[in-house]
Amino acid sequence: MFSLRRWCLLALSLAGVLVDAKSSTGDSVLVVVDPAQQDNYSIFFNGLKDQGYELTFRSPKVEKPVIIEDNVSNFAHVILLAPEAKNLGKDITPQSIVELLSLKTNVVVALPTKQSPLHALAAEFSLILPPPGSPLISYSPKRDTPSTLIPISVEDHSSPVLTKHIRPVWFSGIPQALGNNPLLIPILRAPAESFASEVTVTSGSAEALVDAAEKGGEGLWAGSSLSAVTGFQATNGARITFVGGAEVFSDELAQKEAEQYVQSGNIDFVKEVAAWTFQENLVLRIEKVEHHLVNGTEPKETYTINDNVEFSAYISKWNPAKGEWQPYSGLKDLQLEFTMLDPFVRTALPPVNGAPGKYSTAFRAPDRHGVFKFVINHKRKGWSFLESSTTVPVVPPRHDGYPRFLSAAWPYYAGAISTSVAFFLFSTIWLAGEARDSKKGKAAKSE
Amino acid sequence: MPSLAYPVPTDLSPATVKNTASLFRIVTLALISGAAIASRLFSIINYESVIHEFDPWFNYRATRVLAAKGFYEFWNWFDPTAWYPLGRVVGGTVYPGLMATSGVIYYILQALNLPVDIRNICVLLAPGFSALTAWATYMFTKEMKNESAGLLAAAFIGIVPGYISRSVAGSYDNEAIAIFLLMFTFFLWIRALKQGSALYGTIAAVFYFYMVAAWGGYVFITNMIPVHALVLILMGRFSHRLYVAYCSWYAIGTLASMQVPFVGFQPVSTSEHMGALGVFGLLQIVAFIELVRSHVSSQNFQRLLRVFLVATGLLGASAFVFLTYNGKIAPWTGRFYSLWDTGYAKKYIPIIASVSEHQPTAWPSFFMDLQMLIFVFPAGVIMCFRELRDEHLFVIIYSVMASYFAGVMVRLMLTLTPVVCVASAIALSTLLETYINPVEPDAAVEVVEPKQTNGETTAAAAPSTPAGKKAKKPAAAAAAAPTSALSELVAVSSGKKTASSRGIFGLDTRIVVVLNTLWMLFFFVFHCTYVTSTAYSSPSVVLASQGPDGSQHIIDDFREAYYWLRQNTPEDAVVMSWWDYGYQIAGMADRPTLVDNNTWNNTHIATVGKAMSSSEENAYPILRKHDVDYVLVIFGGLIGYSGDDINKFLWMVRIAQGVWPDEIQESNYFTPRGEYRVDDNASKTMRESLMYKMSYYRFADLFGGNQAVDRVRNQQAPKNIELDYLDEAFTSENWIVRIYEVRKEDILGRDLKSANAFEKGKKRKRSKPITSRRRALAA
Amino acid sequence: MKGLFSSLFLCLGLVYAQQDSLKKLTELAAAGNGVIHLDSQSFDLLTSPKRTWSASIQFTALSKNRNCVPCKEFDPAFSTVGKAWSSVQASDRDQHFFATLDFDNAPNVFQKLSLASAPVVFAYPAADGPRKPASGRTAPTKYDFQDGFDAGPLAQHLSKFTPVPIPYKAPIDWAKWFTTAIAIIGVGSFLRLAAPVVFTRWTWAFGSVIVMLIMTGGYMFTRIRGVPYVGRDGNWIAAGFSNQYGQEVHVVAFVYGLLAFSFVMLTLIVPYQTSPAKQRMQVYLWGAVVIIIYSVLVSLFRVKNRGYPYKLLL
Repeated sequence: MFSLRRWCLLALSLAGVLVDAKSSTGDSVLVVVDPAQQDNYSIFFNGLKDQGYELTFRSPKVEKPVIIEDNVSNFAHVILLAPEAKNLGKDITPQSIVELLSLKTNVVVALPTKQSPLHALAAEFSLILPPPGSPLISYSPKRDTPSTLIPISVEDHSSPVLTKHIRPVWFSGIPQALGNNPLLIPILRAPAESFASEVTVTSGSAEALVDAAEKGGEGLWAGSSLSAVTGFQATNGARITFVGGAEVFSDELAQKEAEQYVQSGNIDFVKEVAAWTFQENLVLRIEKVEHHLVNGTEPKETYTINDNVEFSAYISKWNPAKGEWQPYSGLKDLQLEFTMLDPFVRTALPPVNGAPGKYSTAFRAPDRHGVFKFVINHKRKGWSFLESSTTVPVVPPRHDGYPRFLSAAWPYYAGAISTSVAFFLFSTIWLAGEARDSKKGKAAKSE
Repeated sequence: MPSLAYPVPTDLSPATVKNTASLFRIVTLALISGAAIASRLFSIINYESVIHEFDPWFNYRATRVLAAKGFYEFWNWFDPTAWYPLGRVVGGTVYPGLMATSGVIYYILQALNLPVDIRNICVLLAPGFSALTAWATYMFTKEMKNESAGLLAAAFIGIVPGYISRSVAGSYDNEAIAIFLLMFTFFLWIRALKQGSALYGTIAAVFYFYMVAAWGGYVFITNMIPVHALVLILMGRFSHRLYVAYCSWYAIGTLASMQVPFVGFQPVSTSEHMGALGVFGLLQIVAFIELVRSHVSSQNFQRLLRVFLVATGLLGASAFVFLTYNGKIAPWTGRFYSLWDTGYAKKYIPIIASVSEHQPTAWPSFFMDLQMLIFVFPAGVIMCFRELRDEHLFVIIYSVMASYFAGVMVRLMLTLTPVVCVASAIALSTLLETYINPVEPDAAVEVVEPKQTNGETTAAAAPSTPAGKKAKKPAAAAAAAPTSALSELVAVSSGKKTASSRGIFGLDTRIVVVLNTLWMLFFFVFHCTYVTSTAYSSPSVVLASQGPDGSQHIIDDFREAYYWLRQNTPEDAVVMSWWDYGYQIAGMADRPTLVDNNTWNNTHIATVGKAMSSSEENAYPILRKHDVDYVLVIFGGLIGYSGDDINKFLWMVRIAQGVWPDEIQESNYFTPRGEYRVDDNASKTMRESLMYKMSYYRFADLFGGNQAVDRVRNQQAPKNIELDYLDEAFTSENWIVRIYEVRKEDILGRDLKSANAFEKGKKRKRSKPITSRRRALAA
Repeated sequence: MKGLFSSLFLCLGLVYAQQDSLKKLTELAAAGNGVIHLDSQSFDLLTSPKRTWSASIQFTALSKNRNCVPCKEFDPAFSTVGKAWSSVQASDRDQHFFATLDFDNAPNVFQKLSLASAPVVFAYPAADGPRKPASGRTAPTKYDFQDGFDAGPLAQHLSKFTPVPIPYKAPIDWAKWFTTAIAIIGVGSFLRLAAPVVFTRWTWAFGSVIVMLIMTGGYMFTRIRGVPYVGRDGNWIAAGFSNQYGQEVHVVAFVYGLLAFSFVMLTLIVPYQTSPAKQRMQVYLWGAVVIIIYSVLVSLFRVKNRGYPYKLLL
């Protein structure tokens, strides 16, 4: 009875939460899940459906529908929720998943506890997984649940991916240690008291802790440096999220109270994760860039050295609610580089107030001819990367482009003029005076 | 009647002889020009009408720009595709004479409604100008001796391989027009000197300007003429003719040459040009002293003047040295300096030393290029010494200097060739005249009077002056330039002792010598034809190979590859290759290149050398930094094309070592025994170098299981080479040109080596997390 | 903790070891006035992986029975450079050592480094301590004898590894100066005496023709490439079209000269011959000379350029 009431309440709350949010890259989603367990994730799936995603389900056993045909991905997003399956079918190998990313398909991967090909995959993203069969374990806070099922409390802004307040999240699965890859974005940190080790029949495995301590912490997977849910954004913008265990998505944990009478945060959490992974949140793009002389409007294909050049870029952000791109002036740290081999000019590219989404700056081209590039390279954790490069040659002045009649050059002008005048006078006098001259000469001789 | 070795027609009117002679002259010149042009068309007949090797491709490209956009656009042409990303200011770094010439021809033909393709003009420019060269040489030699010698010289320069080597159809290079300008400027100089006319001096200056605009070798003229003038002064042959000629030439020529943007203020600021300036000053001083001398007669005052002269000379020299050390005057440029200190280039400017045409010349190539002329021209120089007029001094100095330069650099054979032709023409014509002259020497002195009549009639031949005058003024006769056989005959018959005392007895002797000479000349013609057709006519863009059955097989890999680039790569794809191929890529593939044959930026070339000679992972950052999309290498191992990049590799290493001595060391590319090997004994650095990998990538697969053999090095080619950072994009039919595409960075931020390993499904070893305790220890 | 202490002791011990080995080396260097004469263990000492000093070592074989000519040529240059180095003040001098290792003293070292030839000069940078190169490359670098066996370039090269540049100065070649001075004076006096001869055109003609012949004989090629006078196998014609030996210059120049001379004779001298018989004889003589020598020249050229189709009498 009571449970029934909660059911309705939950439904209502869901309805309230649900808004129709769209992905910027497409709505087709392939879910690889064991048909037997499909219902365990109904809340998650329904949530996606209500957002307008078309979910296609596929059992790990069968190979249909195929994901990649002729180097084109049939789906915009892929969710791998069948962690325990031996293999996910021939066409879902670590290699093929990396290929999916290269085709800009976003992936959510639930990691298995057991050894599986996904371990090899995680390694490529410089995620380091604990040895097989050693899930995350924590004995605090004291609770009646098994030690492998851990409530993780999320403080706000712990990760750029989580945009709103999340109630504590039930987690059960394996943690990931993070390598030093700048593209990794830890979304959910493991609690400081937690650690990973084999589960024995008796509650937990204190021995593991002990002999680990003997070894001076050698190979102990513990502490908040581990991550339970990790995002990764490839340089081409595709996003992939590794979730320590599939249970995070399950209805059971979704409905389980985190504390007394406090609904767990799993629903919001997975929604946030999906929203980020499926390119709903934190998605930017450069609409267009333009460059021209400061007191001009037309872009020139070559600039002269020391020209004053004005460069502007138009940036817009995806609005999942409206499902459209909107001009975005929120970036405060955008930079512009004018490079030939090395940056000759590096300046801030501030937003222009009054013109939404327009970032503009003006600078003097260097006193060096060559083939230069306007480069924008904006990479922030969680946000999609902004990269743009526009090539434009900078040329020396034309033969008639140099200043003329410099006052400093008057000595030379005077020299030239006087010489030519003198020459003219001399030749005229000489030519005119010829005859007399010779006569005089004769006279002199005759005398 | 003087005893004649063979009968001479005595009933010819002077006019007839004169006219026939001039007619013959014109016809011969026309024929010579025809021969000169025809013998340069082998390359078109054997191959096709195509621009040859390397530099011509740039000239051709520039000419197209000139023809399309006009001269001002050409002047301001900034080429962003060359020396990417530095770009090249073409207008200011090129000798525009060649392009301007063919541009003008093109416009004229267009104006005449003759739609001739600019390419054909470029291809045929060199042969056309070779005809003009022949004419210029004729004029020059005529000043030296007489028309007959001039005709011989023209014939020689027309077909001598030493000149053909740089002027066959399609070798569209500066030398094509420069040699004509060289000879013509010299002719005008001599003419100006002889007549002391400011007019000819000015014309000489104008052609000197044309020369400056056309070829860097103008420095040769800039030093040759002053040296001539200086020698004349030192020999006490100063004359007002010299003064007028030199001053008019120098003043106008220098001012004009400074109008060429590429030359600019060099004529007053660099050492190469200081000689001319110094002689100019010296002439002023000498002239002044001569003036004073002619008015003052005191003995010791003249001695004073001499002292003054010497003092000023020394003063000028020391001032020059002083300015040079203060950097007011730039010292010799490397190329020029390496002519004197021959070890200089190899040590300090490897780029110059690496060019094949800057190598010293072994004697066979002298003989190959000049054949019999090479040993006849010393004789000609001796003849010049016999009657040592001012212009003969020029030939003498020219021969000595040019033979030294030609010995130092192969390409300077070109400057030696004209004087060789002139000198040997003088020698041979003197010989022939001596032996064709029908007059037997035993002139009976008592029978002078009756001879007069005969003299009168035969005197006909003497171009202008009737024999009577000659008889009265034998001196004049001797001085008069044209001393053709017949005029000598006149001199003899008019009873001149000097003339009659020398001569040849008998007919057989004459026949022997003349036949001997003719036979040598014929052999010379055969030689020239052979050398031209085989050695100098291949356009090195298209190669030919003889099949076992003697059938000719055309190897067209270069154009195949360049057109592949043009068709299959984006407009702005940057291609990296060694600098030899820069111009060709720009010309044929029309893609940006990192370096090309105008080697103005040593560092940029060294960068390419470094990329080529370092290992993949070290080269990759360099490639990315320069936005390189494709890398092009030349590999001759399959068909034995020996001019490939592996053979040039050591130069890349040396040049790179010059800039990064502690990253690239030449010795690392040799085996411990100091050999240069490519097989399995090759040194580790060699085997890992990018160039090596690109050359031999997948080469062994061609041979299936068998032993892969590099047919240039005659060594085993290495097996299973792996490339992680490049993909093979294209390999031409005979594997001469191989093009590789540079991979983009991995999307997961891995290094491409491990990304590749992952693609191939290799397991990477599990790594453990670095626990905080260890981190603390490490810190 | 223990480990830490032990390692500390180890370091100290090492430091001391370095100290006294350094002293030893210094003494050795002083003994051999600037150049240490190595045997195998002193070699190991000098090139120990913990060395705080740098060293340049010459591997050579100077003993009679090895008769290694280049070794003997090069040795003095190396020792002079070493001597020059010993003149800098001690603080710098003891940072870098010059040593020479003779094959007969330590053949095993040669095997260890797999050296097949001598002389070889290796420069060992410091492998430890303050003077360890920033690049961390402590492997020895080989000196390639690009500029021959002269001491100048060697010093210039090795100065890259020494704390201060090697104060090597090329000794002033008094003999050279003296000879040149003598020559100048001699020429001057000669000119005074023999002015009438020297200033005749024919002297100059002779001189310039000789120059031309030598140059066109390929003299500069031999100068620049430094090719030997005759080949190793004793034959004096170098194989290959663009290659030649020193002797070919003389032969070719002589042939050219002879041909040119016969032309000059035919043109200038013969016509002045007054007796017909003699003149006829001379004409035939010189004609024959031209033909024969010319065909000799062509056959010579055929040797250099195999593909050449034409041949004359022989």
